[in-house]
Amino acid sequence: MRLEATELTDDERALQQEVRSWLRKRLPVGSYPLGLGMSGEIDPEFSRDLGAQGWLGMALPTEYGGHGRTAVERLIVVEELLAVGAPVGFHWVGDRQSGPSIAKHGTEEQKRDLLPRIARGEVSFAIGMSEPDSGSDLASLRTRAVREGDGWRVNGTKIWTSGAYESTHILALFRTSEDKHTGLTQFIVPRETEGMSINKIPFIDGTRHFCEISFEDMYLPDSLRMGEVGGGWGQNTAELVLERGGVDRWMSVMPILENWATSRSVEGDAAAAADLGAIAARSWAFRGMSLSVARMVDEGKSPVTEAALIKEMATRFEQECTDIVARHYGRTPDLHSDDPHESLLARAILVSPSWSIRGGTNEILRTVISKGLNKR
Amino acid sequence: MSDVRADRDLVATVRELFRERCPHEVVTQAEADGAAPEKLWAEVVGMGLHLVGIPEEAGGSGGTILDALAILHAAGEQAAPLPLAETMLAAMILADAGAQIPEGALAVVPPTAELRVEGDQVSGAAARVPWARGAELLVGVVDGKAFTAPVEVTREGVDMAGMPCDDVRIDGTVVGDTAADLGLLGALARSAQLAGALEAASDLTRQYVGERVQFGQPVGRFQAVQQHVVTLAQMAAMASLSVDRAALATLRGPAPFEIKATKQVIDKNATVAARAAHQAHGAIGMTQEYRLQQLTRRLYAWRGEYGDEKQLALELGTKIAAHGKLHEVIVAGSEIIK
Repeated sequence: MRLEATELTDDERALQQEVRSWLRKRLPVGSYPLGLGMSGEIDPEFSRDLGAQGWLGMALPTEYGGHGRTAVERLIVVEELLAVGAPVGFHWVGDRQSGPSIAKHGTEEQKRDLLPRIARGEVSFAIGMSEPDSGSDLASLRTRAVREGDGWRVNGTKIWTSGAYESTHILALFRTSEDKHTGLTQFIVPRETEGMSINKIPFIDGTRHFCEISFEDMYLPDSLRMGEVGGGWGQNTAELVLERGGVDRWMSVMPILENWATSRSVEGDAAAAADLGAIAARSWAFRGMSLSVARMVDEGKSPVTEAALIKEMATRFEQECTDIVARHYGRTPDLHSDDPHESLLARAILVSPSWSIRGGTNEILRTVISKGLNKR
Repeated sequence: MSDVRADRDLVATVRELFRERCPHEVVTQAEADGAAPEKLWAEVVGMGLHLVGIPEEAGGSGGTILDALAILHAAGEQAAPLPLAETMLAAMILADAGAQIPEGALAVVPPTAELRVEGDQVSGAAARVPWARGAELLVGVVDGKAFTAPVEVTREGVDMAGMPCDDVRIDGTVVGDTAADLGLLGALARSAQLAGALEAASDLTRQYVGERVQFGQPVGRFQAVQQHVVTLAQMAAMASLSVDRAALATLRGPAPFEIKATKQVIDKNATVAARAAHQAHGAIGMTQEYRLQQLTRRLYAWRGEYGDEKQLALELGTKIAAHGKLHEVIVAGSEIIK
């Protein structure tokens, strides 16, 4: 597998500076709760402000309120946000994958309704995929949507859904026939739909964004179906490129690393300096890989294998970075410390195992990559 | 900036050449002889491959640094037993100093050698100089001056790959001033060779586990074995891309950050990949009659030259700690870290 090297154009570099200086003003140091990458705080106001800058739904078509920009331009905005641990939780999923997916597979009505609101930062999506008995083996999922008149009747349970409670929409995958892969269909379920109840599942670090969703005789009009009946598996697979190959897979700990790099503990400590240098080198290499994949997306390609290949090792790298900073910390960081960087490090230690699980476990990704490599 | 690439036709030709001319037996023979295969080297010189990346007016073959690195990558893929990187580097230094490039193979005095300069005389000794014996001249850089010295081997040796690597006495003459950073150029050249060898080890392993049958099926069907294949593909893809990116950075200006980051990353990747490749191959990979060891022994040899994993990490880390902005450095590299 060869990835093509690419560099930023002058316009892209100008965008980078613009985002950076806007963020400095909008998020002064210490004025917001630091986040760990994509699981940053939920702050609808910040998301709306970002939308007003034109930095959400960037690659969505302009006729639907998007900005017709590129995947690379989106990457540039995203990396600046993640570098400062910005509160990206409200808009993250919609901006990264639900928006592009709706743009590709949604009906005209869905596009007119949702895309402008995604671009304005007014709606928040959660992805309803895993079920109690279907995690990595997604094709085994059992929550059923059965035809009823002009719509569908849904029964079942989704679990381990991040951000569902605070979301405005759930993009869910339901079983519409017994065919393993072609029996799955995607639906856009508004948060207030009758028959759907969402319960929070306390996460390992005490946060409460993880959820279980129950569907009891929930009725969905057919207008909420996204894409073809039975097309859910394929649509979902294409979405994974957007979910897997990005900088969000190695930047979760950037605010922690940034703080550590400037701390006294690195100065004069050769072991720490060498660790920092190795982290910087590898981050630079990962950034190149993410940029290369983004350019491929802009060229109309669907680099599924490449994205999986990056995610599998980038998430392990984020975990290793967490371990390295923890190793140099000198004591156990306090989750409830007044020092926001200390509590963030403690949280990173607790939640880092989830990084190589969410969005496809590393074990499954290795199978995906292996199959992809053998097809070449 | 538009994305510049190596000349595709050139790359295809060179890969084909090395694929044809550097089978397992040729590499084994070169190791036994302690010398490059004469015919192949003559062919490489005849095509001017050893002087690619050096302007024609300076006595080179033209082309960009990207072309030169693509040639070294292709040579690395086939474990080509040639003083190609050494001759290229030496010629680049001479060209930069405005000096004549002699015909034949050249060897490079490692930047770590201890040398004394008196007037235009350079003296001292250097240990473990790759391809010293058989070279026409030794070429080195000291205090911003390029020098040449006749080859005077004090002890013959070989590197981990069985290639000549000798101790030499240096009694040389300054031939001109140079701004070229030999340490960085060497790191970039080795990175390209390493990336090539990584790609080849990755391909070889994927192919092998698809053919080797145990428990009634190709071992590549087992997830535990697939993991090694995936690791190799990751290490190789990251390596090749990083070399290309570092090369692009050099077209903009001095690129110490990108080059050091590249070599640092690849040195580590080489270690990880060699383990994975051997583990996936089982016993056959440990034998000299099989190709893999020709690649992994080169990984071991090259990862320690022109800066190793730890030295490079320490150099990078110290500068970043002094600068204080990690994300900015990752994004802008040598534009802010010199």
